[in-house]
Amino acid sequence: MCVGLPARVVSVNDGTAIIDANGAKRDVRAELLDDLEPGDYVMVHAGVAIAKISSDDEEEGNEVLGLLNIS
Amino acid sequence: MNEIIEKSREIITSYDGPKVRIMEVCGTHTHEIFRLGIRSLLPENIDLISGPGCPVCVTPVGFIDEALYLALEKNCLITTFGDLIKVPGTEMNLAGARAKGGNIRPVYSPDDAVEIARENPDEQVVFLSVGFETTTPSSCLAVKKAKKLGLNNFSILTANKSMPNAYLKLKGSADAFIYPGHVNAITGNAVCKKLKDDGVSGVVAGFTATELMTALAVTIEMLKKGEPFFVNCYPRVVKDEGSISAQKLMDEVMELCDTEWRGLGMIEKSGMKLRSEYSDFDARIKFNMPHIEGKPNPGCRCGEVLQGHCKPSDCPLFGKVCTPLHAVGACMVSDEGACSAYYQYNQF
Repeated sequence: MCVGLPARVVSVNDGTAIIDANGAKRDVRAELLDDLEPGDYVMVHAGVAIAKISSDDEEEGNEVLGLLNIS
Repeated sequence: MNEIIEKSREIITSYDGPKVRIMEVCGTHTHEIFRLGIRSLLPENIDLISGPGCPVCVTPVGFIDEALYLALEKNCLITTFGDLIKVPGTEMNLAGARAKGGNIRPVYSPDDAVEIARENPDEQVVFLSVGFETTTPSSCLAVKKAKKLGLNNFSILTANKSMPNAYLKLKGSADAFIYPGHVNAITGNAVCKKLKDDGVSGVVAGFTATELMTALAVTIEMLKKGEPFFVNCYPRVVKDEGSISAQKLMDEVMELCDTEWRGLGMIEKSGMKLRSEYSDFDARIKFNMPHIEGKPNPGCRCGEVLQGHCKPSDCPLFGKVCTPLHAVGACMVSDEGACSAYYQYNQF
């Protein structure tokens, strides 16, 4: 139940969004996120988009290690 | 292998300092660390222990007994995340209730339960609302939707948990914590920064190989410095302020309450219950629920596993009478439980 599902937003309409997670599409609640647009990536939990995903994990890893001067 | 993983692997495998205990709080982290083979990289002086971060595992036996009461005594249609169906109550689990004629339906989200209530106006539909801050907003949205639709046949049985006071309870269980990324995506990082000020160290981590390796490497590097720390290693999802809209939603619909955690006992202000404005949707009030006290199997050591006091393989029931097909404890039932992970990845 507690697994987050990363997914691409296909469309947004009146607080709901259709998301595509590796080809599986479904409606999710999207009213917790402002300015959601098709093409955005979101984290979905129990049918609710809870957060936008802003980059890929390699960019993120470089950012984290770089900030701490770990290299 | 990407450069980040390679760099992190060097830091982790070359660690030669004093023995450190790192607790991954989240059950999904536990499973991913096993699945990715990260444990096999760890030198002997890094001990990874599993914490209480699976909502199913920390749900007490009494909650299952309450759900059984609603299913069998009040003839409610019980909707639930699938993981809960095989969690043992005192005398049976929800699958047993279904065998006795109870109407038990797994759902993917609380919204699906509202839909079932809308389609079945003659049934009293109850959703078993478990989860941390990550999942609680979905229950709040469902309750608001049911209220808007004017449904008088939908309610929720709450066992929602709030993590901050549980972290304080775990203080001292480990030298550093790997915090659940998606809880922080909702709550933000203020709680973890406060914990750092109280001497509790940790990082918040994502779930991919790169993210978990980065988080472990950062933890090791920071532990070497010997000062309390907090680092957000999952900034692509976790923002410092968290989700303001989710925080407002939870505050509007629910309020903190004292609650029991399996294995950890009662923790003050660590649960979430519906506010009085939404009491029409509170199953305990609606069905005048009597006090029900569950009795866990005395041989089960889930409680100690959840606090990192012992490993699943230290439990005398593990892998013998307690297996995923015949689970005695919740940590074996849930796919996110530590015992399930140890069993699945052959850690006997």
